[in-house]
Amino acid sequence: MCRVANVAIMALVATASALYSDSAVPGSVPGHGPVTRPNMVAVGTIVWLSSELMFFAGLFAMYFTIRSIDPGLWKEKTAILDVPYAAANTLILVISSVWCQLGVHQAEHGKASRTGKLWEVGSWGMREWYVVTYIFGAVFVSGQVLEYATLVSEGISISADAYGSVFYLTTGFHALHVTGGLIAFLLIIGRTFTTRHYSHAQAAGAVVTSYYWHFVDVVWIALFATIYLLQ
Amino acid sequence: MRAEYKLFGVVAAFFLPVALIYGFATHWREPVGFVGLLLCFGLGMMISFYLWATARRLPGERPEDNPAGEIDEQEGEYGFFSPHSWWPLALAGASALCFLGVAVGWWLFIIGAFLGVVALVGWTFEYFHGEHAA
Repeated sequence: MCRVANVAIMALVATASALYSDSAVPGSVPGHGPVTRPNMVAVGTIVWLSSELMFFAGLFAMYFTIRSIDPGLWKEKTAILDVPYAAANTLILVISSVWCQLGVHQAEHGKASRTGKLWEVGSWGMREWYVVTYIFGAVFVSGQVLEYATLVSEGISISADAYGSVFYLTTGFHALHVTGGLIAFLLIIGRTFTTRHYSHAQAAGAVVTSYYWHFVDVVWIALFATIYLLQ
Repeated sequence: MRAEYKLFGVVAAFFLPVALIYGFATHWREPVGFVGLLLCFGLGMMISFYLWATARRLPGERPEDNPAGEIDEQEGEYGFFSPHSWWPLALAGASALCFLGVAVGWWLFIIGAFLGVVALVGWTFEYFHGEHAA
């Protein structure tokens, strides 16, 4: 569990340092908009993500309210959860955020794709890092599908009882967000293939997709802590 | 940018103590309110921090923060704005079909999802292919 927390902190530090490093100018992709104001796409995304935070606040409120009504049910059902499995899956999602940030670094330098061979990781551009991020994110969602299948076979279903409803609604809405992020990655990667020149608008798209991805990652850490650790 | 990040900072500065007072007053046994208020702190903090971190990277003062600023100081390219597009309408129609599908039957949802993919790809790629992709 400690390892999960460590990697989580690493990812947050990576994100924070990206916000501070000289090369990365958050919200002001060079040449895109007047230099005296932040990029509109980036600011808009942050404001939207703060409203997403309120959406998840509603889900947390639901979880804690129903848990306080029926603590006995919680005791019985949370015993079925496979915490190490979910922790490993969490680790995969957190690591994907690190790959995503490396992709952002390339996007901010206007490097869409690799300049060397595929195994020369140092020459990778945004595209390669985002493909790796996509794979890690896809493994996370697949891992959750497998977990759902196991839990359903053990009698936890969305319509069985209050615990099932709350469990699948919270983790399910999060998984839908991750899936939405995966689709966004596909579109961002796809656009590098249909254009000859990597424009500032494309870099801005890549950067805000990473904002979303880190946000969804942090929300999952909070959900994981609530559902699996705190129970 | 000072006015902006301070404005959202007020939201954060209000909700953090309120969350702590709430937690203390309920003896930390009622997590709904505490977590809700803490996330409201996050709501303000997220935007405030972002604007602050962005502001310190921007060179100099913005014209709108300067009492003697002129309108033409704000000129420049703000980004790309589509003059017109049919794709948002197509995506809205596809989404409506998806929601209707949840009520009527999943077969309709599948049709809506298929049209949604077409509309989404059409919208995202509209200015990133062909003659726009130079």
